[in-house]
Amino acid sequence: MTSKVDVEGAFLFEQPFARVPYENYRKVFRSSQKHLEREYGAIQSAAEDVSTSVKTGTVKRDEIASAINEMISRMEMLKRKLSDLHDSAGKPTQDVIRERLQHMATLENFNSTTQVEYTEWADQRLDRWLVDWCLRHGKEKTARRIAREKDIEVLVDLDLFSDIRRIEGALSEHSCTEALAWCSENKASLRKVKNTLEFELRLQEYIELCRSNKKLEAISYLRKHFISWWDTHLVHIQQASGLLAFSSETTCRPYMRLYDPLRWNTLIESFRRSIYTLNTLPSEPLLNLALYAGLASLKLPACYEHSTKNVDCPVCDGETGSGFAVQGMGLGKLAEEVPSSYHANSTIVCYITKKIMDADNMPMAFPSNGYVYSREAMEEMAARNNGIVTCPRTGVSCSFTELRKVFIS
Amino acid sequence: MDALLKELSKLETLTAQPPGKNKTPSISDSLDDLIATLQSAKADVNSIDEGSWNSLAQTIEARKKDIDDRQKEIYSATAKLGKAVEKKFPANLPSYPNLFESDHAIAALERTIALHLLRTGQFDTAHTFLEESNADIPLELRSQFIELYRILKALRNEDIGPALLWARRHRAFLQSRGSPLEFYLHRSQYIRLFLTSDPPNPPPLVISYAQAELTPFFHDHQAEFQRLLTCVIYRPSELKNSPYADMASPSLHLELEPLFAKEYCASLGMSRQVPLRVVADIGGGGALAKIEKCRRVLRERKNEWIQRDELPIEINLPPENRYHSIFTCPVSKEQSTEHNPPMMMLCGHVVAKDSLQKLAKSSGRVKCPYCPTESLSSAAIQVHF
Repeated sequence: MTSKVDVEGAFLFEQPFARVPYENYRKVFRSSQKHLEREYGAIQSAAEDVSTSVKTGTVKRDEIASAINEMISRMEMLKRKLSDLHDSAGKPTQDVIRERLQHMATLENFNSTTQVEYTEWADQRLDRWLVDWCLRHGKEKTARRIAREKDIEVLVDLDLFSDIRRIEGALSEHSCTEALAWCSENKASLRKVKNTLEFELRLQEYIELCRSNKKLEAISYLRKHFISWWDTHLVHIQQASGLLAFSSETTCRPYMRLYDPLRWNTLIESFRRSIYTLNTLPSEPLLNLALYAGLASLKLPACYEHSTKNVDCPVCDGETGSGFAVQGMGLGKLAEEVPSSYHANSTIVCYITKKIMDADNMPMAFPSNGYVYSREAMEEMAARNNGIVTCPRTGVSCSFTELRKVFIS
Repeated sequence: MDALLKELSKLETLTAQPPGKNKTPSISDSLDDLIATLQSAKADVNSIDEGSWNSLAQTIEARKKDIDDRQKEIYSATAKLGKAVEKKFPANLPSYPNLFESDHAIAALERTIALHLLRTGQFDTAHTFLEESNADIPLELRSQFIELYRILKALRNEDIGPALLWARRHRAFLQSRGSPLEFYLHRSQYIRLFLTSDPPNPPPLVISYAQAELTPFFHDHQAEFQRLLTCVIYRPSELKNSPYADMASPSLHLELEPLFAKEYCASLGMSRQVPLRVVADIGGGGALAKIEKCRRVLRERKNEWIQRDELPIEINLPPENRYHSIFTCPVSKEQSTEHNPPMMMLCGHVVAKDSLQKLAKSSGRVKCPYCPTESLSSAAIQVHF
């Protein structure tokens, strides 16, 4: 894997990247279908009405004329609505899909990770992940700023997350309206994955009616909205009906739980889960997943021992520098949460050149203390010092010819 | 990916505005047609009888069918695109509940991101981020990064002054790292002076620069020093065709920027590569996929991954990401530790201390498992990588 691009491994992260705009497009299609059904249905029934009166001979000319006028204006409106929808949502969404698929296609064409184009691609990916992380942690300004300055707005899901923020905001203000609207927009998809968010929201609205002691309204709400959940949620509905008998000050456990204001927080979480699932977004930020795997691949016991720390190692994270002594406050801190890497074979890195030692660049040991350096480093040092080499860690000197070859199998 | 783009193109043609050529009429064509029919019926409203109205009603139904057909086509094109997306991106991302979501972890992440933004020179974004987060990056450190970018910009504009000033101030640090930075800065300036000088004689300016600035580096960079002084026997314009062509290469100046950034960051205790990029690239470049695959296999075999604190598989890393020596004993396959360090026998082969003791006979002699040599186990010495 040293320099070949692992396309499959990279694509693991990109499912949501393709899915989010695709789901958006499906939404556009559904709303075009809705417009069509509504407007066309209206002229079909109007035509039906005229047909009956034409048959019975009771029709008046001006009634036909006004019916036709009505039909024309409806069809013109339909045409305009559909074309507006295409211009404002359909086409732009298709463009986003195309843009993203092409972005993925470029990855397939890279030969090596050392290519400049790959580096740029990877830079952009990190920017996308930073935007995702910021959006999920309420840092919208930073997210927007990165997206704008790096010109990656079509490659990140600013709109999706601003929807999420809007709906979660409403829920935290104790209003289900926005979340319910979202549920009805995505009814079919939610039903397919047997999602019960809508029921939870309805139940909450019902609980609020009970809380404010509007019993009659609560009963009619129960009748109207819970009927479709009868088969799957009978027990919950029965318990909910019981709520009518208890005030919000009740100490009876199951009903106290329903009245608990913390239930709103659960709703927020469950909404977030639902919208993530629908868009195949992972529950953790993409950056976290990448960091988990990356840190685990790098982490070694040596990262946590003072004598073997390496300033260039991301896990070692500071501390060795002569300037700011940053003691594992960044990546090193995060690495504590992940497992260590596993190694079946030895890899010996030269302390001086930081190059890997192998048969072409053998490890050489100082005979007196066993400190090992690469042949390359020792030869260079010997050339500069009349054949004398000095161990930079212990100060021990000897002639180059006295160094012992080390065999690592 | 081509298959995906093809499906998308089909969908785009079906929904194009204005409509392109297709087998079935577009929705807007159908609507136009219907509106025209209605218009002509309206113009002739007085002659409408049962027959003509029925034919109008039929037209309405016929257009409805056309429109439905087209919608169905769009629907199936969309579904096909969806299938193609699923095929290309089949795996769901795994879930690691609560990963890096504790307060400590978020603080560490915020700090990492803030430093990343500063490190990559995105100062405005960093400013916004610091306002939106609790990350506390000392002003002094922030201005260090601004300073770094100022110096790098000067280097790009062929001004080594600020870089040289910094290098002189940190001479002891650079020497302890064996860094050639200061010498390379002078080398770049010297070559630039020479290349812009007028032939035939290298003007005294070039030579005096060498005397004043390069001589102190004679000891550490003898060979390069000699080449630098000799290359002036060529005309500046001929240098690139001479044995000293490498001196005329622009990389001699371009490599100063990364070299300077590396030393500058090292002086702040920071790595030469951008650490967040390194880690994210490894994770996103296959490591997560490998870990997940292994985890899936273990689960299928009902073999739980027992050693939670170590990955069940090896993730190969490119040489530039090998930061530490790892010694795995070829006999026991265990990684060396402080208590079980690598020991080199007389023949030069290395095994872990525990293995050495197990291999030793009661006489204290050890037969090397990799060569015919027999030696005393007490003659083995510990090695330090």
